[in-house]
Amino acid sequence: MQIKEYMKKNVVSIPKTTTIGEAAAVMVEKHVGILPIVNEQDKPVGVVRLNDLLELEMPDFIHLVEDFDFVHDFGAVETTRPTHKQLAKSVVTIMQSVTTIKEDCGLLRAYASMLQNDLNDLPVTAANGELVGIVSLVDIGSAILSMWSKE
Amino acid sequence: MVLATVSSSLIFLVSLGLIFSEKIHRMIIGMAGAALMVIMGKLLGFYSESQALAAVDFNTLGLLLGMMILVALLEPTGFFESLAVWAGKFSKGHPVRLLVLLGTVTTVVSMFLNNVTTIILIAPVTILICEILGISPTPFLMAEALLSDTGGVATLIGDPPNIIIGSAAGLTFIDFLIFSLPIVVVVLLTTLLLLRYLFRRELAVRPRKMKTLMRLDPAEALHDRKTALKVLIVLGAAILLFSISHLFNISPALVALSAAGVALVWVRPDVKKTLEQIEWSVLFFFAALFIMVGGLDAAGVFGNLVRLLEGLNAIPPVWFGVIVIWVVAGLSAVVDNIPITIAMIPVIQGLGAAGIDIGPLWWALAFGAGFGGNGTIIGSTANIVVATLSEKTRTPITAKLWNKRGLPVMLATCAVATILYILAFPLFPR
Repeated sequence: MQIKEYMKKNVVSIPKTTTIGEAAAVMVEKHVGILPIVNEQDKPVGVVRLNDLLELEMPDFIHLVEDFDFVHDFGAVETTRPTHKQLAKSVVTIMQSVTTIKEDCGLLRAYASMLQNDLNDLPVTAANGELVGIVSLVDIGSAILSMWSKE
Repeated sequence: MVLATVSSSLIFLVSLGLIFSEKIHRMIIGMAGAALMVIMGKLLGFYSESQALAAVDFNTLGLLLGMMILVALLEPTGFFESLAVWAGKFSKGHPVRLLVLLGTVTTVVSMFLNNVTTIILIAPVTILICEILGISPTPFLMAEALLSDTGGVATLIGDPPNIIIGSAAGLTFIDFLIFSLPIVVVVLLTTLLLLRYLFRRELAVRPRKMKTLMRLDPAEALHDRKTALKVLIVLGAAILLFSISHLFNISPALVALSAAGVALVWVRPDVKKTLEQIEWSVLFFFAALFIMVGGLDAAGVFGNLVRLLEGLNAIPPVWFGVIVIWVVAGLSAVVDNIPITIAMIPVIQGLGAAGIDIGPLWWALAFGAGFGGNGTIIGSTANIVVATLSEKTRTPITAKLWNKRGLPVMLATCAVATILYILAFPLFPR
């Protein structure tokens, strides 16, 4: 019942040297919502999520106006794209701190960590800290629920 | 008596210095200074508790509290947001028209309600409108900050300095409408014209999404129409009463507090939430400043000041007012205008005792304190609020930008106010 039995082993990660534009291209190509950022030793140093990239296109008023129910159309915002300058910046400038889990961790323990940190994905590391996989909320949840019918 | 004069002056000046340094919250300094003043007064026998209590101008505090309660009730209804949306829609997305409409709405609202509340609620919707249109919000945000201070000068209840001046000089709501409002209207037009010129490049951009703006509905932004209507009716009645209260010898404070009482009974809000919206620190700070100034008076400081100022009789009265406008404006540009106003009042009263005609000087004080705050990014709370808000956007307003676009407006408005002051000088009540 360890995480390593349920995790995705072909985890897509990016090096610290990646630009924001390149990270976005990887996300589109691999159709993933989170990219762990790793150092030279393949250890995770941060993550960039779909939300972090989409934030670049979000209008400022979303964070300032309490409710925007009366705005039915975002107008010019819908077609405003990040500038070349923004896309050429290193992904490190927008990366978030990473919460990882060891590959021998139990399922419920892993789920509790997700719940506490409000996460949907957890990069999994080996004992030496190297990135070996990634597990999503659905991976863990369905693994736990599948036990119910077996016992 | 020398010891009383020196110690009370020292307490007041050190407190003022600390308030101006803006390192410790002004309310904390005020409370400490007021307590120290009363203790020193008791020790040296120049000031007592009952004198301290009598020094607090409850007319100012009551008026402020009453208006704060009304605003606290109006704030959550979406009324302010709806006004901004209406201005946006009515402008049809033309930048210059948008500048004039948002600027005028801000001015008019600030004439009756707290400037900071007005800005906090209108500025986010301004950013929303500009983002939908695909234009820079900077000219509009700066116009709102500059004009909320300007609008406040127009009426007795528009701005705390006016309330204090009105109370100290016995000026009525009507006095402000006669002598201040016309000047503010000219200043508003000057500001809009000047901003039109200073931001000519930004305002020349043709918005891409004018049609989208037309689909915004002000009625939808107003999510509690019933409450908004009730508070506006009470507010309207209060404004009407303000303008006739002097005929029946009713204080503006009684009008404001009664209006707040009526509105509370009618709306019956969550009291805890409403009270949270009241700026208690402002009320405490005012009370503390009044107690300190009362101590100075009791210690005989102003009597001495009058003797010092007697030589100033030689200056023609018109120029005296002009000096007051610019000195107060200069001070207000770098620090909060409330302590400046409260400290200037005994000085002007002292001048009155020295035989100088002070009737017009009250107006000079109001104009200087009101328009001066526009000079720098930290000159007024409204400016600070707008700058802080813009820092959360892609187009932050910097101190450098303010010096380029805001300072000229302050200088121009003070110049216009000076010219109008000189022209109106013979008309001011004595």
